[in-house]
Amino acid sequence: METNFAITKSNWESILIKLLDEYVIYAPYRFWNQLEYDRVTKDNVGDIVYNQPKPSTPLKTLFLPIRENVVNSSQPDQKRIIIGAPGCDLSALSILDEIYLDNDYPDPSYTKYRENTILMGFDCHSTNEHCHCTSYGFNPYPTENNDLVISLIDDNLLMTAQSDKGLSFQEKYLTNHEQPTDEQKTKATEMRENIEQHLKEKNNDLPDYAQTGDLIMQSDDEIWERYAETCVSCGACSAICPTCSCFLLIERPGFEKVRSIDTCQYPGFERVAADEDPLRPLAKRFRNRYMCKYVWKPDKFKSKACTGCGRCIEACIGNINKNDIFREQLKNLSIEA
Amino acid sequence: MNTATVDLYTPVKATVTKVIEESPTIKTFVLEPEREFHFKTGQFIELTLEGVGEAPFTPSSSPLVSDQMEVTIMKAGFVTEKIHELGEGAVLGIRGPYGRGYPLEDMYGKEVIVLGGGCGFAPIRSLLYNLEAEKDKIKKLTFCYGSKTPQDCIYKGYIDHLRAVDKFEVLRSVDKADETWEEREGVVTKLLDEIEIKVEESIAVVVGPPIMMKFGVQKLLELGFPEHKILLSLEKNMSCGLGKCGHCMMGKYFVCKDGPVFTYEEIKDQPDIWK
Repeated sequence: METNFAITKSNWESILIKLLDEYVIYAPYRFWNQLEYDRVTKDNVGDIVYNQPKPSTPLKTLFLPIRENVVNSSQPDQKRIIIGAPGCDLSALSILDEIYLDNDYPDPSYTKYRENTILMGFDCHSTNEHCHCTSYGFNPYPTENNDLVISLIDDNLLMTAQSDKGLSFQEKYLTNHEQPTDEQKTKATEMRENIEQHLKEKNNDLPDYAQTGDLIMQSDDEIWERYAETCVSCGACSAICPTCSCFLLIERPGFEKVRSIDTCQYPGFERVAADEDPLRPLAKRFRNRYMCKYVWKPDKFKSKACTGCGRCIEACIGNINKNDIFREQLKNLSIEA
Repeated sequence: MNTATVDLYTPVKATVTKVIEESPTIKTFVLEPEREFHFKTGQFIELTLEGVGEAPFTPSSSPLVSDQMEVTIMKAGFVTEKIHELGEGAVLGIRGPYGRGYPLEDMYGKEVIVLGGGCGFAPIRSLLYNLEAEKDKIKKLTFCYGSKTPQDCIYKGYIDHLRAVDKFEVLRSVDKADETWEEREGVVTKLLDEIEIKVEESIAVVVGPPIMMKFGVQKLLELGFPEHKILLSLEKNMSCGLGKCGHCMMGKYFVCKDGPVFTYEEIKDQPDIWK
């Protein structure tokens, strides 16, 4: 890891307080047993949780708000800093960018949020039960869509600029810094390697991204019907997914429109005239989400539509673990072979 | 206010100047947009009923006319039922046009076979207006149209007009005829047996209810049409029109942006194409 500079935690916190005059800053905070992105204030700046996976709500909600008036936008022209996004969330922005910043119809609201935001991602220094980013070719540290990467080592923040935006931020605001010691650098590198190794070992029975797509393509209805038995179409899996980005347009008086988060898991998502609905059976909706993530989106876009964050497994009130499906399919395949 | 956002989602207001009853469940709304509205044949619009909802329609009028637009609407759900209650003077919104329309250049120099069913005549009419204006560029046009009963046949006056157009031939069939009906009886695909088709010199367009499109394509394939020379206009739950909201996803395609006009070759391996 090329580490540019180190800054003490207390120094960093005073810089953040000064930055509050100019920026709205978000960072991960602990609420009961979970992390959430929240607004940084001068009073809570010391409570930021560093390098732990991962806010329950994905980064996408800070770029695609849950509800947003897209005709009469109230989005402020506000510069933002988002601290603490894990690698999985940052990589997930790639496919959102492909959809929302496409050449034909770049989305004005999303564009503005992206332009106005400096991203300072975290290395993951631990893992959650269902983390599996490495299985899909991602890393437990930021490698893309990030401006500055942060790793807290013994009360010192090791920082590396990863973009021009990050570099100019560093030059402007982080003048009072030191070179990291070799010991700090080694520790940060070892941390990365250990976490990566741990994730690879933990998920060694999981098919990779492309293979998952093949398995889904080859599967029969039975497995989807069986796993969907406890699905109640609550849509939590999509709501907390960093790459799911479908929405509903709600018509308001005055020809205004509210864009609201939506999912193919809800009945009627694809319903057309005369009540035709290709996704009426629940098991078809259930399978549709995986077809979309592992078969269709990769066929259409350059970016992957699942970064292995595992939130959909954590959030499922029906206790459905998508990875169990793929492990079972993989096992069946090897038995057949 | 974010002015850029306004352009993507704010409709152009359009006043209803006339309502034509085409059949017991189908009405054509003649709209006058507050500013010129251009579209290419086969592209669709989102029609907005303020505060109620939006639904996608392919205009049934000529794409060469930009100060007036006709939209033919079958009562088939919540929004269309509300639109059917509207009369002259009502104001609707139009967003668009969206998507990829018909590749007219692929029809030039060819015999164009158009197979239409039911309300599928609406988007076809826009194509026929366009091809009539460019009839020097095509060899021939044969329109095979089917509907359930004689009462369900829409655009009766327009059919008479078409029959008088040089190079144009119209054949109609109803599933169930009555004593007033003087044309064919039976499924629309049977009409294809009655015409002489030179497959190498032809291109086909199929628009109608899913089941009719399915059998129409089957029949054309049997007649030897290559998959890339069968054009279909698909109906899905297009909502944003911008390739983002996901409601019209059909496999890897956003029908609103990648379609709604596809060749059969493009979509044959995608799921639920006939649903």
